[in-house]
Amino acid sequence: MMKKPLKFIVFLIWAFILLFPMLAVNEGQFVWDRLLKVMGVLAFGGILVMAYNAAMKGRSLKSAMFKGGLPFKVPKKVMIWTGIVIVLILPWVTDNYAKDVAINVLIYIALGLGLNIVVGLAGLLDLGYIAFYAVGAYTYALLNTQYGIPFWVALPMGCLISALAGTVIGYPTLKMRGDYLAIVTLGFGEIIRIVLNNWDKVTQGPNGVLGIKAPSIYYPAIGDGGFQFAQLYMKNLTWLYYLILVLALITMAAVNRLNYSRIGRAWMAVREDETAAELTGIHTTRMKLFAYILGAIFAGVAGAFFAAKVRYVNPSSFVFLESALVLCIVVLGGMGSIPGIVLGAAAIIVLPEMFRGLELYRMAAFGGAMTFMMVFRPEGLIPAKHKRPETDVGDVPLEEGRGRAES
Amino acid sequence: MKSLRILLTTVIVCGFLIYPCLAGAKTLKIGSMSPLTGQYAADGNDIKQGVETAIAIWEKKGGVPGYDKIKYYPQDSACDGKQAVSSANKLVNLDAVGVVGAYCSSATLPASDVLNDGKVLMLTPASTNEKVTERGFQYMFRVCGRDDDQSKAAAKFLITKLNIKTIAIVDDKTTYTQGLADNLEKSLGDKVKVVAREHINQGDKDFSGILTKIKAKNPDVLYMSLYNPEGNLMAIQAKRLQLKAKLMSEDAVYHPNYLKIAKDAGEGTYFTFGQPPSKDIPEVKAFLDAYTAKYGEPGSYSSYAFDATNILLTAISKVGGDDPDKIASAIRGIKMQGASKYITFDPKGDSGSTYKVLVVKGGQFMPFWDPDSGKDL
Amino acid sequence: MDVFLQQTINGLTLGAIYALIALGYTMVYGIIQLINFAHGEIFAAGGYIGVIALSFLQARGVLERHPILGLFLAFFLAMFYCAFLAVALERVAYKPLRGASRLALLLSALGMSIFFSNGMMLCQGVYDKAYPHFFTSGGFNIGGAIITNMQVFIMVGSVILMVTLNIFVNRTRLGKAMRATAQDRTMSAILGINADKTIVTTFVIGASLAAAAGVMVGLYYGSVRFDMGFIPGIKAFAAAVLGGIGNLTGAMIGGMMIGMVEIFAAGYLASEYKDVFAFIILILVLYFRPTGIMGVQVDDTRV
Repeated sequence: MMKKPLKFIVFLIWAFILLFPMLAVNEGQFVWDRLLKVMGVLAFGGILVMAYNAAMKGRSLKSAMFKGGLPFKVPKKVMIWTGIVIVLILPWVTDNYAKDVAINVLIYIALGLGLNIVVGLAGLLDLGYIAFYAVGAYTYALLNTQYGIPFWVALPMGCLISALAGTVIGYPTLKMRGDYLAIVTLGFGEIIRIVLNNWDKVTQGPNGVLGIKAPSIYYPAIGDGGFQFAQLYMKNLTWLYYLILVLALITMAAVNRLNYSRIGRAWMAVREDETAAELTGIHTTRMKLFAYILGAIFAGVAGAFFAAKVRYVNPSSFVFLESALVLCIVVLGGMGSIPGIVLGAAAIIVLPEMFRGLELYRMAAFGGAMTFMMVFRPEGLIPAKHKRPETDVGDVPLEEGRGRAES
Repeated sequence: MKSLRILLTTVIVCGFLIYPCLAGAKTLKIGSMSPLTGQYAADGNDIKQGVETAIAIWEKKGGVPGYDKIKYYPQDSACDGKQAVSSANKLVNLDAVGVVGAYCSSATLPASDVLNDGKVLMLTPASTNEKVTERGFQYMFRVCGRDDDQSKAAAKFLITKLNIKTIAIVDDKTTYTQGLADNLEKSLGDKVKVVAREHINQGDKDFSGILTKIKAKNPDVLYMSLYNPEGNLMAIQAKRLQLKAKLMSEDAVYHPNYLKIAKDAGEGTYFTFGQPPSKDIPEVKAFLDAYTAKYGEPGSYSSYAFDATNILLTAISKVGGDDPDKIASAIRGIKMQGASKYITFDPKGDSGSTYKVLVVKGGQFMPFWDPDSGKDL
Repeated sequence: MDVFLQQTINGLTLGAIYALIALGYTMVYGIIQLINFAHGEIFAAGGYIGVIALSFLQARGVLERHPILGLFLAFFLAMFYCAFLAVALERVAYKPLRGASRLALLLSALGMSIFFSNGMMLCQGVYDKAYPHFFTSGGFNIGGAIITNMQVFIMVGSVILMVTLNIFVNRTRLGKAMRATAQDRTMSAILGINADKTIVTTFVIGASLAAAAGVMVGLYYGSVRFDMGFIPGIKAFAAAVLGGIGNLTGAMIGGMMIGMVEIFAAGYLASEYKDVFAFIILILVLYFRPTGIMGVQVDDTRV
């Protein structure tokens, strides 16, 4: 019973030691007000948490917060249909800002699904995924501004180039394992960004590419000369929203099919034990390369859309933090679970926007929240459910259990 | 039931008619976009503080006529096109009348697309890339100078005053610095030989590699077209390597931090900067008093942001409303002495640049030479 | 020739700094298989404590009278502080995840990295913080190249620290315990080695080295900033991997290599692509020798 307050006091002492030099020393003086303010907030917060714990009468904070679910029972079908309706009518009932956020969420959903193939299914720790996104975006940007190629023609070309990039980046890494792969993919991501930033002749360097045209469609219209086709540029956020919605849905369908296909199972085999997979006849190098290529294609499509939406690309949109963000979405949402990734993308995009009021604290809060989520729910918000054939117990959440010894 | 329907309709219609009267306080919404996080957070905060200072002075004077209060929405553009567009969208949604921003040209350019479409006025206190005012946007204004003017002034100084023969130029491959460096090369023409043209990346700390390379070429001047953090460090390393060339830089490095960090390594560095405000001018003194009381020493862009806000609020009070076209033409008609310089606007939205050359002497920035008149200061 | 010599000196100095940071990465990885992304921020924190301590002493007039003492005090305080910081980091963000997937650990580390760097920004402000110039002047000429006192100090200092580390790891009981736990944690636990205590020790040592590097960087370059940990962190991690992650000598070699490649690429090739060269070297070495220069086979279990 005495343990909790004791722990809390230890925590406060640690906080004091760590914050003292940073907050309380100014040239030759000691300035106490900032330090006292922060300590006050920490003490207050800690007391609140302890009081809450006491009120919950022994049930841990974790279980109360995350496993309780909603306080009332809502039939699943109702929730699903409400969700579908909201998604479909969103552009008609919200303003530009919300539409912009929704579009961003959908882009990141597509990215998360793509990365999920590489990290979640095939188990390849890719920290430079944003490079493929950049390739897709710049491909469309340059094809459109230099050669006037419209969006729908550039899209398959972008897919091709992204696939190429996937091959180039994937090939040297095939022999690498685990964390070596991490730093190499990180390196590739940085290489692509640095090249984009410095290769002025082709990519316009840091100035970026301006004046990209939005996707356009032809629709039949009655004009002076009779029946003809008019061109509509999808600059309007509503059009763009539906476009990215369709793209995201296609990605979701594709990933879902892959999950339960032979290829998907091959990837999972490679992920769980590569040597054993090789022995069962799975061509591991080919599978790994294919995972990269497919992931690259999805990212490339998202990238092309991004270029078409913002109509301006420059290298600073493709920094390492973005790769980390997408990784966050995949893991936070629950690796391999599609609804989890959707929720993860929504959380990652919407939460910082909500925090925009607390400008300066936004990133710090984000970092802290990331760690918090990992510590208290490492299996993600909606863990993937997977049938374990051997046990045949039905659906079991794919939870990397605690306490399992690292062999 | 018919009577009930009539009753309900009447109530609703009355509600619609009465509501505007009950609407209450009319708020003037002003926004700003500057990097509040990330590596340019220093300048971004200077801009935010400049805007706040201006708003505080207006509120003390009684606010803007036609509005009950001013609400300020500082946005973080983080020198990123995507975030800038997002902030711009947010401000358009909030029905902001005008926005002061952004800082990086790479943020201003895409954001100006959004703001112009949304008919929100935009005044940039720091984006110097020419393209900003070359796109025919009628709600876009620039309170600071332009790169092509600054480099012309620098070139004139190097050629006529310093009489140099060789120069080494370094930039960090961002829109602003590279644009400036390219313009400088162009302006120097064939009168000065560029013996080294080097690039660094932002965030780099170690320049010994390229400085050693430059030292071997022995130029008369090293022109650092960089941002403040890199400029500080490069000056220190140049001195340490005993580089004989004189140092010269531009307005992004011109900041009290340069003196604080480079210290004696910065002695003798030349800078081009928009006319340094003489503290005797009443408007400048008023700005300095108000700013330093709350925030300490102003950064390079605090006064520009301050002036941009002032201009915006002046124009709005002249118009007495929020019609963007009227405000835009009101801005074009403004001629006033600001805290940063004397401001008038040309049809493109530029307010002209009067760059002067300063030098670091005795740990202070001292006026040195005037490129327009060719005279010492 | 003097240019080449100068570049070599520059490269060795930079390499020494990267080596110190890389050691921390490699030690932590060796013992709990974690890429400690927050290590770069610990390096930055060390730099900050150094400048806070030095400016405090300078304002009190102590620095003029006892410069050497002040310098060592700054180093000591920075290392001491970062040890605390690292232990707090381990307790809060890594210990609870000891059995969890590698990815969760990675993201926890990433979250802490973002939290720390922004935290430092909130505490200390967005501007660079200037180091007193007390020690940065003075040097001497060798064959046309200039080697400053500070560069000598950094190279000598890092060698001393690395030698001390080697002695500690190879000769003391605690060092042996660290090596044992890194090799096989379960077995060491069975044999009575307290895994917890060993892990904490590893973090403490790694953080102290990074802190020392941070103060050196501050003294050498003249200033520190809240985001100065990120890029050196990535490069140091690349150096650790290059040398074979988990291997101390490898980290030192890797650090030196990355430092030299960076300086020479900047000096003789295109300076804006210098990071690219460092990564390319890394990829080439890993391609032909997938476990790094001195590395052993990495456990390839699931992500």
